[in-house]
Amino acid sequence: MSSETKIEYSKKELPSSFGKAGYTLFAVGLVLVIISYLVDPVRSSFNNLIMLMFLSSIGVGSLFLVAIEYLGGAVWSVPFRRIPEFLGAIIFILPIIAIPVYFNMHDMFHWTHTEDVLSDEILSGKVGYLNIPFFTIRVVVIFLVWMLFYFMLTKRSRLQDQTGDQKLTSSNIKISAIFMPFFAITITIASVDWIMSLEPHWFSTIFGIYYFSGTVLAAIAVVTFLVVYLTEKGLFIKGIKTDHYYSLGALMFAFVNFWAYIAFSQFLLIYYANIPEETYWYLNRWEGGWIVVSLLLIFVHFVVPYFGLVSQPSKTNPKRLKFMAIWLLVAHIVDLYWLIMPTYSPESIPFSWMELGFPLLTFGIMVIVFGIKAKKENLVPIGDPKLKRGLDFRL
Amino acid sequence: MQTVDYSQELAVIEKRPSLREIDEIISKPLETKPDKKYYLALSITVTMLMIGVVGLGLSFYYGTGLWGNNNPVGWGFPIVNFVFWVGIGHAGTLISAILFLFRQKWRTGIARFAEGMTIFAVMTAGIFPLIHVGRPWLAGYLFPYPNQHSLWVNFSSPLLWDVFAVSTYFTVSLIFWYVGLIPDFATLRDRTKNKIKKLTYSVFSLGWRHSNRHWQHYEMVYLILAGFATPLVLSVHTIVSFDFAISIIPGWHTTIFPPYFVAGAVFSGFAMVQNVLIFIRKIFNFEHIITLDTLEKMNKIILLTGSMVGYAYAMEFFIAWYSGVQPEQFAFINRAFGPYAWAYWIMVTCNVVFPQLFWIKKIRRTIPVMFAIAVLVNVGMWFERFVITVTSLSRDYLPSSWAYYTPTLTDFAILIGSFGLFFTLMLLFTKTLPVVSIAEVKAVLEDAQPSHKDH
Repeated sequence: MSSETKIEYSKKELPSSFGKAGYTLFAVGLVLVIISYLVDPVRSSFNNLIMLMFLSSIGVGSLFLVAIEYLGGAVWSVPFRRIPEFLGAIIFILPIIAIPVYFNMHDMFHWTHTEDVLSDEILSGKVGYLNIPFFTIRVVVIFLVWMLFYFMLTKRSRLQDQTGDQKLTSSNIKISAIFMPFFAITITIASVDWIMSLEPHWFSTIFGIYYFSGTVLAAIAVVTFLVVYLTEKGLFIKGIKTDHYYSLGALMFAFVNFWAYIAFSQFLLIYYANIPEETYWYLNRWEGGWIVVSLLLIFVHFVVPYFGLVSQPSKTNPKRLKFMAIWLLVAHIVDLYWLIMPTYSPESIPFSWMELGFPLLTFGIMVIVFGIKAKKENLVPIGDPKLKRGLDFRL
Repeated sequence: MQTVDYSQELAVIEKRPSLREIDEIISKPLETKPDKKYYLALSITVTMLMIGVVGLGLSFYYGTGLWGNNNPVGWGFPIVNFVFWVGIGHAGTLISAILFLFRQKWRTGIARFAEGMTIFAVMTAGIFPLIHVGRPWLAGYLFPYPNQHSLWVNFSSPLLWDVFAVSTYFTVSLIFWYVGLIPDFATLRDRTKNKIKKLTYSVFSLGWRHSNRHWQHYEMVYLILAGFATPLVLSVHTIVSFDFAISIIPGWHTTIFPPYFVAGAVFSGFAMVQNVLIFIRKIFNFEHIITLDTLEKMNKIILLTGSMVGYAYAMEFFIAWYSGVQPEQFAFINRAFGPYAWAYWIMVTCNVVFPQLFWIKKIRRTIPVMFAIAVLVNVGMWFERFVITVTSLSRDYLPSSWAYYTPTLTDFAILIGSFGLFFTLMLLFTKTLPVVSIAEVKAVLEDAQPSHKDH
């Protein structure tokens, strides 16, 4: 019966409103960002760091989604694998975004103050890891590793559009397997270096996993939004059903819970043991008005999406999915804001037009990168041997 | 060299057996008398069990002083064994519930058996906290209920959360297992000629008639129970990890413990399932139901979870150094180079090094090799709990109270007994209940697929 499904895909242009939205977001964001850099470079650098971490999440998180599909032998996600592949291209923007942060490091990372480090016994013990040359090397290596795997994974996928060669799938499976340990290590180092070391005395072994949980959730959220959006606009391949929607919704729901589990584990263990070396990090997010953001995070990142996605109909409702996807992206920004900004301003919550410019630019970059890639390439991996099975997919 | 055709779904069950053949082959062990080998195996496991019973009897008579536990190592073998056995149980729920939610069809061949293992492993694990309290007859007070003594439990202790988590987990696992068995009980009821068996199966099958309506309800209940079991399985080992991690003992207090313990539990559980299934599929001729592909997939999960455990070890070491906390740094150097270095390096080689061999496809598909690796994994995972529990306690903050923990013969007897109990229950299970779900296997046959084609 369903074996009759034909692969009907003809490449269509994205609506011009898509590109316009992207460029508008980008232009408004960029203007605001430039002004805020002129007004307050330090504060802007912290906001810039949020943008960097967010786009890293989307870029490398998308790459993770691609790799996990190959490794798990999944078929349901094949029809929209191009979406995370396109989003992976964001990795190439990351070095540019990292530059302003890099030049303002001295005002952001306390461990860069050599004289303070020398007088601080704990910090001088960390000099072997937290020093600018080694830090720079790590940043460069991380970006190179991500770019390398982006190339290797997407190149074969694109080639397959023309040849349909199954060997390309086999080799991508191997590359994905090799990618996994690299992914685990790079994302851990990235989270430790770029977020945890903002408060260099603090430490938490789960921190890499915490960032990972947010990363993957954000990547799934973008993919979900785009799948629903493109299907509704009729730009996508025919055959995307509620079964696909349901799976995306269930995956988002799973990672909402996973994030909450990791976040709660970290909090409870530190709260319960009550050692000053660790608790001060949470106290910084409790005092000076930060209690509001801390409590808000629980609702924004867990309670609302939990109830928003828990029921079966909500996972197949396109409107709900789009709303929750955008919501979770905002939640990831709130999460990063909560992680990063208390270092900048422990006494009060900094929130003004400056904090708005960066997210606008972030979304603008995402839309533009996706738009450019979608213009050049097929939205669907038409040569993938698993594509038909993916369209036939049923729960 | 093209070996896999990705455009076709691979058959989960090989040889395309008919529905009748499936009934026959799975119910065969239940309808035939056990042979000599079975009794031989049973006598070995029961002997092991008896050794444990002697160890327990002596402990009850003379007291827990017979164990190696000392001051400061108050948590010796009993807690190590408890964590080990709870961990073994985790693979069962992962296979039966989490893989079900992920719609992994290959799980059908192994789910029933793994779920059974969960139940037996949790039962075995349950013994240890009971005996470790020293007065097991007072263990009823672990459940908070209003009593004449106004005696209440300490609600803020993770040891109590363990009581709730493990008992809830056990209950839900048992119900989940039983619900899955109902259609199979009905099949067996319809097959058997023996009156007593017929009556028993009839009672347990709850009047199941394989009707469409029954199936609809069944599927719904099964999905809901899978949804319940998934957070439960995570919560159990998370709370077991809290037993350690909420304290401020160096080497115990680290935030990665919850996910790390869960990964480790799945790791050891899968190794145990793989080990036992290798025998089952051979002895009962299930090689086309529990295929080599299935075993390979299990080995991949062992590789994945083993790498996660390796990541956690590395992260603990790194953060111990990075934190600058001296007791923490000492605890980890002591683990690797102190008096228990031997245990530590057994743990690292068995858990991190050997499973990495599963990167090689040939090893993933060679039964003797994978069997050996999985045995080593379980050795390693037992030692992991030993390393965590004992090394940290034996070298606490006060050097004057440092001590070396040496387990006694009684400790070993109880450990052997726990294996005896587990494998005895396992053997009885193979002869009393269908070890593979008849109904589920039928549902994943090639002919049962909506996209089925003749080719």
